[in-house]
Amino acid sequence: MKIAVCIKRTPDSESRFKIAASSAAIDEAGLKFDIDDFASYAVEVALQLNEKQGPGETVVYAVGPDVVQETLRKAMSMGADRAVQLKTDAVPYDGLAVAKALAAELESGGYDLVLFGKHAFDTSAGIVGTATAELLGVPCVTAASKLDIAGGKGTARRELEGAAEIVEFPLPAVVTIDEGIARPRYPSLKGIMAAKKKPLETKPAQLGPVRVTVKSMELPAERAPGRIIGEGAAAVPELVRLLQTEAKVL
Amino acid sequence: MAASNVVFAFVLTLGAGFFALNVQRLVRYMRLGYAENRIDHPLVRLKNVLTIGIGQRKIFRDPIPGAMHATIFWGFLVLTAGTVEILIQGVFSGFSYARILPHPLYALYAASQDAFALFVLAAIAFAYYRRLVLHPRRLDGDNLEHADAYIILGLIGGLMVTLLLANACQFLVDPASIGPEKFVSRGIAAAIAPIDAYPSTPATVFWWLHVLIVLTFLNYLPYSKHLHVVTSLINVFFSNTSGPPQKGVMRFMDLEADVEQFGASDVEHLSWKNLLDGYSCTECGRCTAACPANLTGKLLSPRKIVINTRQRLMEKGPVVTGDRMEFLHPALLHGEGGDAGAQTPAQVMEHRLLDTYISEEELWQCTSCRACVQECPVSIDQLDIINQMRRYLVLSESRFPEEIQPAFESLERNGSPWAFSPADRAKWSEGMEIPTMAELMERGERPDVLFWVGCMGSFDDRAKKITVAFARILKACGINFAILGQEEHCHGDPARRMGNEYLYQMLAKDTVETLNRYDVTTIVTSCPHCFHQLGNEFPQFGGNYEVVHHSTYIERLLQENRVPLQSAEGKRLTVAYHDSCYLGRYNDIYDAPRETLRRALPVVTLVEPPRSRDRGLCCGAGGGRMFMEERVGKRINVERTEELLATGADTIAVACPFCMTMINDGVKAKEADVAVLDIAEVVAGQLQS
Ligand code: SF4
Ligand code: SF4
Repeated sequence: MKIAVCIKRTPDSESRFKIAASSAAIDEAGLKFDIDDFASYAVEVALQLNEKQGPGETVVYAVGPDVVQETLRKAMSMGADRAVQLKTDAVPYDGLAVAKALAAELESGGYDLVLFGKHAFDTSAGIVGTATAELLGVPCVTAASKLDIAGGKGTARRELEGAAEIVEFPLPAVVTIDEGIARPRYPSLKGIMAAKKKPLETKPAQLGPVRVTVKSMELPAERAPGRIIGEGAAAVPELVRLLQTEAKVL
Repeated sequence: MAASNVVFAFVLTLGAGFFALNVQRLVRYMRLGYAENRIDHPLVRLKNVLTIGIGQRKIFRDPIPGAMHATIFWGFLVLTAGTVEILIQGVFSGFSYARILPHPLYALYAASQDAFALFVLAAIAFAYYRRLVLHPRRLDGDNLEHADAYIILGLIGGLMVTLLLANACQFLVDPASIGPEKFVSRGIAAAIAPIDAYPSTPATVFWWLHVLIVLTFLNYLPYSKHLHVVTSLINVFFSNTSGPPQKGVMRFMDLEADVEQFGASDVEHLSWKNLLDGYSCTECGRCTAACPANLTGKLLSPRKIVINTRQRLMEKGPVVTGDRMEFLHPALLHGEGGDAGAQTPAQVMEHRLLDTYISEEELWQCTSCRACVQECPVSIDQLDIINQMRRYLVLSESRFPEEIQPAFESLERNGSPWAFSPADRAKWSEGMEIPTMAELMERGERPDVLFWVGCMGSFDDRAKKITVAFARILKACGINFAILGQEEHCHGDPARRMGNEYLYQMLAKDTVETLNRYDVTTIVTSCPHCFHQLGNEFPQFGGNYEVVHHSTYIERLLQENRVPLQSAEGKRLTVAYHDSCYLGRYNDIYDAPRETLRRALPVVTLVEPPRSRDRGLCCGAGGGRMFMEERVGKRINVERTEELLATGADTIAVACPFCMTMINDGVKAKEADVAVLDIAEVVAGQLQS
């Protein structure tokens, strides 16, 4: 099967974030970037599908400046066959603009399946996958927690609040991947070495017009520090009193 | 030359020739391993041969069997001189050392032969008794192994008996030929039959029996674990386990090298020395008896690792070297685990050391505590094989317990094995006014010493208290020190121990770069793993620093009376100190932490669990076990805590943040009312406020 996986480079979620001087972006100094968690699930799903189904090709795409090449190499060290960078100076906030660049590229790729992460950790917008499907004119399934392909048809499971649904769709299709679907493999040194030699193509991104931008950002209010009232049974009355009077939850 | 001389010369040539042939085959197999230089520091190596080999230092760690073995071994050395004399006699009748040695020397030699023959017989008798009646657990093995031991003991016994009988009968034939120094032989002669005209046949028969046993013994060796008779001294010479160079340093690995694979999955990816280790193992089981994983019911047995290496070499060696004498296999195939039972060369090639012989599970159970290495009487490095195989698992196949993936990822992203924000690394120091290197640099100043805090000390809530305690001591003593602050990140040791050399080298090189940028010369750290890594392994990457563990550092300060201690003697404590593997067996630091406790608490009573100092039992955290679940068998930390609690101590002292976590958990699991303190905390508690 020919599978495309569109991935994004995002900062590590354990980082301590600061807002940049422009107040409309985070301060990237000292942050560690890597492939977005959801995107790495999508890569893993693609690799597993192709391993299961025999000969196929997994191609990874990323929109962005040259630093995304590192992220593309990471995906190739996991096992993706080749990579394409759609070059821009910066990744625009407007998901539709990004989707246009991807769709323009994927259109002629002849892919059976295009995978995305459900959303990226940095924007949590979840637009690019669905918008790309729309632009390509193929069916789209979002937030799949299980994905099977057989006989030109796909079956996906989606977790709902208190239930799950199983959906069916024809190929080609776009699927965005939820967490918990597969544990992304850890690249072996062999994989890392091999990835250095795999083809990575760079093309200018044909972004759509950018109409949505971030005006300003703010950090959540500091949480008040926890308080230790005491230990064991002796502390219970005081705890109950505070829960009633201060926290007002009882 | 009489006909009998010619016959003997023929038999001797045959026996020696066949032995030489087998030795040559073993050497050819051994050379399948990769090349490495093991003749650096020849004097240290010679010293090891004299102390560990000839002196049997490690053998005596188990005193009673040790005495037994040493008697046989020394007897062997002494009696080999006699054997040479006898073999020469076979070709040139009437030869005797008496002809070339001055009399007193010859008399001493002659007496030593008889005396040692007697000692060895006694030792052999005890060995039988031990195996047949006492059944020590570490000698457990299959029938083949036991048969092998009995055969060898029988042959040695036979050698002694025939030697004495041949001499005794010879005395009866010609009293002048056996001097009074051979007192045992003469005594036996007196007991047999002091008659005139005693026939010469018995003497001849016993003589022939003796030399035939010598040759049989020699040729049996390559087919038995008793090959160690030939290889052990050689192995001790080439071993690095007692230095040189620094012990316990993992092999440097060139990741840019154009190799077919990284790490070891089969014998040819091990070094020739690892393969010689296989030939040298006596299957004594001392290593496995000391292994914390094995002791607590896990699969891992360092003895099995070594035997498996040998078995696999014996299986694969003949096939890949095109040895046409394979039917005369220097067998060695018995022993723990057994041969993999290949019938055809194709099957042999399908097998490999990993999976066919040694499972992934065994390899991940190792805590890298070095107890096995410490115990081995012939200086085998079991851990080196385990480490090289772990490297293969991770670097080539990405096979490892899934729990350690987050640790790898976090090391890569956050510079610590736990997912803490690097921004919080120096949070413990808030309000303590401890400068960072960068701050000092800006002011154009330099500290005398860098305090390397380590990841545990920076992020773990319990370990942070140790960090603060140690920093308080440094401040109280007026030490001019600094920390790296947010510029510190893991040096990669956990990754290295878990086989991820790639990640390790990334982190290590980066750390060396930071340290060298600040021209750091002296480092103090409260973590034995940091201590070992920075001090002993960083030279591989051009990082050369004087690294001191806080136990030694505080001990020195105390010695110099620089620590402002309260004049009161403090509480009367009974303390059991738990030895950290990386401080103890890796770096021979046993006294500094104990001395620190004694000096800080004048009224302290130090108690020792039975396993302490270089026999100390691991807490279970090393070798990356800290990051893995312990699903099989008893928990190692509980086993160790029980030993420590059994001393009756009211306080357990540690000198390692990893030991702290493990022993603390153990104490909680046992619901014991015992304090667990780092030595720095004990000292800090005595500071004048
Ligand atoms: S290093 Fe320790 S845990 Fe590992 S095999 Fe040796 S004794 Fe066992
Ligand atoms: S490796 Fe050493 S300690 Fe272990 S069984 Fe062999 S000889 Fe004995």
